Amino acid sequence: MDIIIYGIINSATLALMALGFTLVYGVSRLPNFAHGALYVLAGYICWILLHKVGLPYVLAAALSLAFVAAVGGAMYSFILVRIRGMSISEIIASYAIGLAILEGLRWGGLKGGTFTLDYFVEGSVDIAGVSVDYQRILVVILGTLLVGLLYFFVNRTRLGLALKGMAQDERAALTLGIDSDRMAVASMALGSLSAAVAALILLPLGSIVVEAGYHVLIMAVAVCIVGGLGSWTGAILAAFVIGFAQILTTAYLGAHFSVVVALMAIILTLILRPSGLFGKQKELEERV
Amino acid sequence: MTRKVRLFVAALSLLALILPAGGALAAKPIVIGAPLSTAFLYGWDAERAMKLAVEEINAAGGVKVGNEKRPLELDVIDTRDLEPGVPVSEALLAVEKLILEKDADFIVGGPVRSEAALAAMALLAKHKKISILTTGALTPKYHAVVGKHPEKFKYLFRISGEAKWMVLGELVPCLLDIGKQFKLDKLYIMVQDVAHARTGGKILKKVMSKKGWKVLADPVVYPTGATDFSMGLLDAKKKGAQVIIIWMDMPESAILLKQWYDMKVPALPFGTIIAAAEQPGFWKATDGKGQFCLANVVNAGNAPSSATPWTMKFVKAYEKKYGMEPEGYGTSSSYMAIYVLKDAIERAGSLDPDKVVAAMKKTDLMGVYGRIRFDPKTNQIIPSLDPKEGAVGTVFQWQKGKRVVVFPPKIATGKILLPPWMKAGK
Repeated sequence: MDIIIYGIINSATLALMALGFTLVYGVSRLPNFAHGALYVLAGYICWILLHKVGLPYVLAAALSLAFVAAVGGAMYSFILVRIRGMSISEIIASYAIGLAILEGLRWGGLKGGTFTLDYFVEGSVDIAGVSVDYQRILVVILGTLLVGLLYFFVNRTRLGLALKGMAQDERAALTLGIDSDRMAVASMALGSLSAAVAALILLPLGSIVVEAGYHVLIMAVAVCIVGGLGSWTGAILAAFVIGFAQILTTAYLGAHFSVVVALMAIILTLILRPSGLFGKQKELEERV
Repeated sequence: MTRKVRLFVAALSLLALILPAGGALAAKPIVIGAPLSTAFLYGWDAERAMKLAVEEINAAGGVKVGNEKRPLELDVIDTRDLEPGVPVSEALLAVEKLILEKDADFIVGGPVRSEAALAAMALLAKHKKISILTTGALTPKYHAVVGKHPEKFKYLFRISGEAKWMVLGELVPCLLDIGKQFKLDKLYIMVQDVAHARTGGKILKKVMSKKGWKVLADPVVYPTGATDFSMGLLDAKKKGAQVIIIWMDMPESAILLKQWYDMKVPALPFGTIIAAAEQPGFWKATDGKGQFCLANVVNAGNAPSSATPWTMKFVKAYEKKYGMEPEGYGTSSSYMAIYVLKDAIERAGSLDPDKVVAAMKKTDLMGVYGRIRFDPKTNQIIPSLDPKEGAVGTVFQWQKGKRVVVFPPKIATGKILLPPWMKAGK
């Protein structure tokens, strides 16, 4: 039972980490390698607003979400727009921005494990004899809610449908008057917002540390590659595959092997099914 | 006294005050290179402590080298060796840079990660640089290698602790005390995937089994940067663990303690090394969830106690300069290393490495954490449970927001408490 419960929690955690990354790639074909840095940035800004400025939590959280969304949008408007379409340059540039953010935070004093955000709800409950704290249960609930909200946004709102149109066929969308760059800015802002929301939900479980940025990026990339780049369904399924594989590895092989699960999943996917579980891109290229 | 005479006397007094220090400050500084992983507790606390010692020594006129007074200069370089995924070669490059580019006369501090410290040994020996390891690296292999090749590695000293003594000399007696006091005998071990922790975990399992304790599983090894410890804690709970040994220097160990508290695991968490719980800011960061956690900070002086007359003097000086108590392992040892080096240089009357090594080997002074002497063969500081005999460690327990020293008994300021959701054994 403990494997099932903590497997679900771990999978929801991974899905939350990867959602923003897969959203941006799915809509704009932009590999945002600053995703992990934006995650840490959101946590740190919220911490500063809470503990240094003294704002109430709701306001601090809202401001940090808005700030990180703005940073994401600005990243596209000022830097990535110049290299749009050049995949390698996009990866290098976004990774460099991420490095600058993370190492800038470290230089600015984000060191050690004493930067933390409070739990939303304290306490724990026994589920079938397995002790689980409320915050982890919230991770699963809020993760599901976030996926639902994003699904609704993309499929039921004008902006969401425009984003979807761009993802499906950029040229056709352009002929219908949808501005490609504006949509890319919107997707970057939305993806960054998702990273920030994930940070505010997940960071109370641990500490705000620079290293989390690298960890989140690796996990997001692993989930997206296994699920198929840009596929939401694939990403969620991959989060469950990797999440459960990690928990099973910890339980039966040893915790120190769990670190290689995500990397092994990337390697195996690239060998056996390069387009990932639900990816279409590579398959089409191969057929052509 | 006329105004002119008074002015003249005042000017003379000012000159008298300035000249000795000025003389030292005008002389060529002695460069101390400090390779440290500055983004981590064991790096930045060492840097702060060394800066404090250097400032104190320079303010008192510097180091007497023969007939000359020379100031100390500290050159810190970030080795990043405690960061996950950073290769050992980075630390070696940092040490080499200190030696070749910064022209460091001595190396004090790290490399901090055991693997990096071991790898740097040949490099330091090649350049005949006296190195005093003060923080991080706890692997017994370090001084074992020095002992095996005493001539080749004679320049390498360690003034902080090492895993073997920490386990056999401190942890085991402390656990046996806990066992006797609360009738506990079931142990679960969780370690980080680094050399000193793996070694320490294995030794502990073997020794405690021989002492009649039930060690419930092989040490559970977590990768550096692990963020979820739920499966291990559930396993510990299921198997009826009464004490959980934690040996981790990564900040993520705070997550382990939060999970331990949230799951109300009925076992006493004992951090043989637990960087996250050592810092004074830990209490606030975990919202008090670290209550009852025991932490070994390796050397006395890394938390307030009255081990020697110098201990609280150091604690207060640190507090005055940085606005907080010494934060954890690596603080008092890094501070002491500068004073030990000063003492050795002054006795040698020279910066010649062979002369300073000879003087270092004869070191015998009462420091912040007890009597400081080095083993003549291995250059490892001689440990003890009595500060009058050797270097003493410190195990404290978080109690109501304070770090209360509970071991060794000679310097203890309080008694160990069990969490309310845990009962003493029968």
